[in-house]
Amino acid sequence: MVKYRVEITKDDEIRYISHLDYAALMQRAICRAHLPAAYSEGFNPHMKIAFASALAVGVTSDAEYMDMELSEPLDPSVIAERLAPQLPAGVRLKRLKAVEGKHAALMAEVDQAVYSVEVPLQGNAEDAAKAVDAFNAAPEVVYHRVTPKKTREIEVKQYMQGKAALHVAEQSVHLLLHIRITSSGSIKPGEILALLCHNFGLPVQESLAVIHRQALLSKGKTPMELI
Amino acid sequence: MVRLTPDILQAVAKPARYTGQEWNAVHKEHAAMKCTFALSMPDVYEVGMSNLGIKILYEVLNQREDTVAERVYTPWIDMEAEMRTRHLPLFSLESFTEIAAFDFLGFSLQYEMIYTNVLNMLDLAGIPLRTAERGEDMPFVIGGGPCVYNTEPVAEFFDLFVIGEGEEVLSELADAFIAWKEQGRNGGRRGFLRRAAAIAGVYVPSFYQAEYAEDGSFLQWQPLEKEARPLIYKRVIQDMDAVRFTENPVVPYIDIVHNRIMLELFRGCTRGCRFCQAGIAYRPVRERSEEKLRALARQLVDNTGYDEMSLTSLSSADYSHLGELVDQLLADFREEKVSFSLPSLRIDSFSIELAHKMQQVRKSGLTFAPEAGTQRLRDVINKGVTEENLLEAVSAAYRQGWKAVKLYFMMGLPTETDEDIIGIAELAKKVVDRYTAIKGRRGVKVNISVSCFVPKAFTPFQWFGQNSLAEFERKQQLLKAHIRDRSIQFSYHDARVSLLEGALARGDRRLGAVIYEAWKAGAKFDGWTDQFRYEAWTQAFEKCRIDPAFYSERERPLTEPLPWEHTTPGVSREFLLREYQKALQASLTGDCRRSACNACGICPNLGVKIVDWGQANG
Repeated sequence: MVKYRVEITKDDEIRYISHLDYAALMQRAICRAHLPAAYSEGFNPHMKIAFASALAVGVTSDAEYMDMELSEPLDPSVIAERLAPQLPAGVRLKRLKAVEGKHAALMAEVDQAVYSVEVPLQGNAEDAAKAVDAFNAAPEVVYHRVTPKKTREIEVKQYMQGKAALHVAEQSVHLLLHIRITSSGSIKPGEILALLCHNFGLPVQESLAVIHRQALLSKGKTPMELI
Repeated sequence: MVRLTPDILQAVAKPARYTGQEWNAVHKEHAAMKCTFALSMPDVYEVGMSNLGIKILYEVLNQREDTVAERVYTPWIDMEAEMRTRHLPLFSLESFTEIAAFDFLGFSLQYEMIYTNVLNMLDLAGIPLRTAERGEDMPFVIGGGPCVYNTEPVAEFFDLFVIGEGEEVLSELADAFIAWKEQGRNGGRRGFLRRAAAIAGVYVPSFYQAEYAEDGSFLQWQPLEKEARPLIYKRVIQDMDAVRFTENPVVPYIDIVHNRIMLELFRGCTRGCRFCQAGIAYRPVRERSEEKLRALARQLVDNTGYDEMSLTSLSSADYSHLGELVDQLLADFREEKVSFSLPSLRIDSFSIELAHKMQQVRKSGLTFAPEAGTQRLRDVINKGVTEENLLEAVSAAYRQGWKAVKLYFMMGLPTETDEDIIGIAELAKKVVDRYTAIKGRRGVKVNISVSCFVPKAFTPFQWFGQNSLAEFERKQQLLKAHIRDRSIQFSYHDARVSLLEGALARGDRRLGAVIYEAWKAGAKFDGWTDQFRYEAWTQAFEKCRIDPAFYSERERPLTEPLPWEHTTPGVSREFLLREYQKALQASLTGDCRRSACNACGICPNLGVKIVDWGQANG
């Protein structure tokens, strides 16, 4: 078995598909590319692919990572050549490398995600700055995550790596969020935005927000640099 | 072009239903096209995308360099609300073009309970609902699919219907449209419809006027144009190997009802079940060759990346060389881990062995359709299955490790007595007991699903009066009372829906007003249990002063002219009458595919023949 790591995107065309659907489309692309995918043993074999960190529905990304195992070694350039044309609209192959040596699972290695949020300003820039400053200054902020089954209270500041950075230009608010991914959980960028709007009075049209994952890091390095 | 902003898409469930861009979706420059089609199955994306007919026609039309076909499905309730609030018109999934800007809008009519969705989609598109109100700039609205064997209840909403298989006729329509357009749209809308009516298999309902007898029953058609032919025969593809199949089906990003490759082995079924409209509508049997199917399977896997394939047909187990085909396919795709399934199982041990071979290990439930609880009633409907057949089949299944069996039945069949209803419970019990006998322990789950019989046009039961609501409900309770084994799960249908379906299935043009009023009162997605609004329909019938029982429950005299007989699958009235008489005597009719011809009239009327590779003449 040989393992490869790919850096791929989730672009606007497929912004609204789930993480599971994203995994399924990658599986189909690998089949179309006729790559010798490795499968698990057992009654119900499944393709050996693994992803770094699930992306929330509605969020685009330049930093998706997937490890895949092949049953025979192939030159990374050959794999890329076969795979790239089989990717549907909304997925671009950025980098592909063979995984040398032993490494922890992708999911266990990543510890930080960087998101940009772009949302129309609905008020003035000073109020926006005040809201973000207040959020940054607060020692604790609690988000109530409502799921069909229950409501959970999550303290979000523990997941913030540094301050939320604000930039306002032409009636548009830009936020840069560095969010920690931990084994005990994390917070979604959309949830930070909701808190900023509802608890801190960020004057924006929340429903028109466009969120993008810029990077996924492990101790400051991208997963491609780890291998 | 319609633009969907994040606030709309964030507000609705499953936004990817509306954003397109899927693998194998076809994008063409509309300005360079001579003819544009919007193709729809009027149901939600996950259902519509699972329809094989639309997939085929999408590909056939997009093969043409001068034509583009795009898809549109019914927006779910939440999306419809967003669209109406924002005045967004219905749009296509490929180019987000407004549907009203297409030359044609084609609907696949799979069952009567989606008629209100058609009206709702026309309304969302800004297309006048009735053909008479449509301006010169509006698309021609086409209907196709199984409901064309009684088009009349929806006739006033469709410019034309395509009767039968659409692969050839849609292209002929495109040719006629382009010629009409290039000749300066000679004669306007009606001018085009005249040209269309000259194409075999095309029915233009506005060229006909209905006349009714004093007792309210249908009398005859009065042609309004010289192009109005008295009979429109369905179109049939004779050579299934030569006709284009879907080789590049659109692969959805989200999960859909049938999220797998559909390989169509053959069309038609000649088993001759007397309740079954499809059995008449898709005659004669025409098989694809094994070589063609293997080649198609290879292309489909290569072009989609799916690892699941369903071998579809009306009764796939009847494919002449099914055993060999399955072995070949399993060998061809062993390395790629493609799994295969048969959607329809025959009740015999051959089918069980095949299902076992194909499923290899996963033991999902098995489904059989004995349809009736006693041998007498199974003979009435010409099901040709005995209790021994069923018990042998489930025995084979139990030995192979299956622990769940689903059995389909109908209630309200002609000649049915309480004994037949109780027979369903008794048969289910025998299926349970057989498990205990073989395995020496309990532990099987037998699910019996009992639907309410809806008589359909062009079947031997087209004259039969449907059971009343009270009678259906009485029989449901009777059956319930006779099920005492806890291994048996009993589920049944809402009889109100079946009666409505019964009225629409054998209705005439006067029901157009009822469908319109029901839609006005909020009826849509009528086939969805959680959306069905019975009051909308009862009010609509009252408002139009029409008694639905006239259409559903009334037994028609055998001499009465029927309002659907002019759009015909080619079956002779004499054959249907003969079969009805034989049914009442519980007398069987053989399968014409491998034994004597039963003179149903379809082959000679349409100039086609059976293609069966198991026969020397095949």
